[in-house]
Amino acid sequence: MFEERDDEDMLERVVRELRRPVSVDRAFDARVMSEITRPDAVIPVARPLRRVWPWLAAAAVLAAVLIARPWAHPSARPDAFQFVLVAPQAASVSLVGDFNDWDPTRAPMRSAHGGVWATVVALAPGRYRYAFLINGIEWRADPAAPAARDDEFGSPSSVVTVGGRRS
Amino acid sequence: MMLTALLLVVVQNPAQDPRYERLDPDTRARVAVIVDSARAVGLPGEPLIHRALEGAMKNATGDRIVDAVRRLAGDLGMARDALGTKATTPELEAGVAALRAGATPAVLTRMRDVRHAPVTMALAVLADLVASGVPADSAAAALLVLAPTARDADLVEFRRAVERDIALGAPPAAATSVRLDATARSAQPGRP
Repeated sequence: MFEERDDEDMLERVVRELRRPVSVDRAFDARVMSEITRPDAVIPVARPLRRVWPWLAAAAVLAAVLIARPWAHPSARPDAFQFVLVAPQAASVSLVGDFNDWDPTRAPMRSAHGGVWATVVALAPGRYRYAFLINGIEWRADPAAPAARDDEFGSPSSVVTVGGRRS
Repeated sequence: MMLTALLLVVVQNPAQDPRYERLDPDTRARVAVIVDSARAVGLPGEPLIHRALEGAMKNATGDRIVDAVRRLAGDLGMARDALGTKATTPELEAGVAALRAGATPAVLTRMRDVRHAPVTMALAVLADLVASGVPADSAAAALLVLAPTARDADLVEFRRAVERDIALGAPPAAATSVRLDATARSAQPGRP
């Protein structure tokens, strides 16, 4: 009983303290009030974002649909293929072929342990000729893939065939 | 919109294709004529451009590049005659590989008739087997047996099995025959 009355006294004192007028500089008070009541006071970028947001959402959905291409035949979608070459003495190895327009800068291979060079390329269905270019000068066929028989340029190439449809 | 227009220009005018810049001007002009001619009769231009780029990358002479591109254009036409005008680019490329491996145009036509799925993998496996030492007629006969029911994955597995056997010392024709029996048994009827 005694404790309950103490609590009530304490509560009353706190409420009284909170209700006590606080002296605030009038100029500062006026500035705060003008900032609060200003029409664009929320966040400067909030209003433009609100206008752009539906377009951003639509663009994101469109991009997702274009990437997923749900209308495409499943077998026409690219599959990831890993190409590996063991070349312990090589300083650089590139994978070049029909799938990257024979451009060595587009598929540089990475070396892991013991001179094992590897890269992963997404390939749509088709038949592709390719070769490894070592140190920018030496051509080497893929020992793990069928050789291209029609080597018309004096250096070996390999072929990889990806099944399915491609127009 | 502008990107689409640019793409249209590039597609319609191969000489504008930036990839041609990797060829010397004389070779570029001669290759462009072949590619234009091929496209005019409904053949794909991309395989021809790729062959020219391969030659350029491998420092082949202009004459050699032009010869290779012209020969490929002729073979693409032969493959198209055998496979029909609805053949896709990968089918035509695989058809060229099979023809160059020694298959006759009649084999390509028969393959098209018996296989309801795309013939790309069947013709590619045929060419790959010949490259491994299998006689062309044995490879063609085996693929014509498998083509009606085997899936692409079955054909790839067949090729790998034959190549493994050859690497272990089996005569190529015998390896093909043995593996054909096993693959034909496992390929379920009705599967593409």
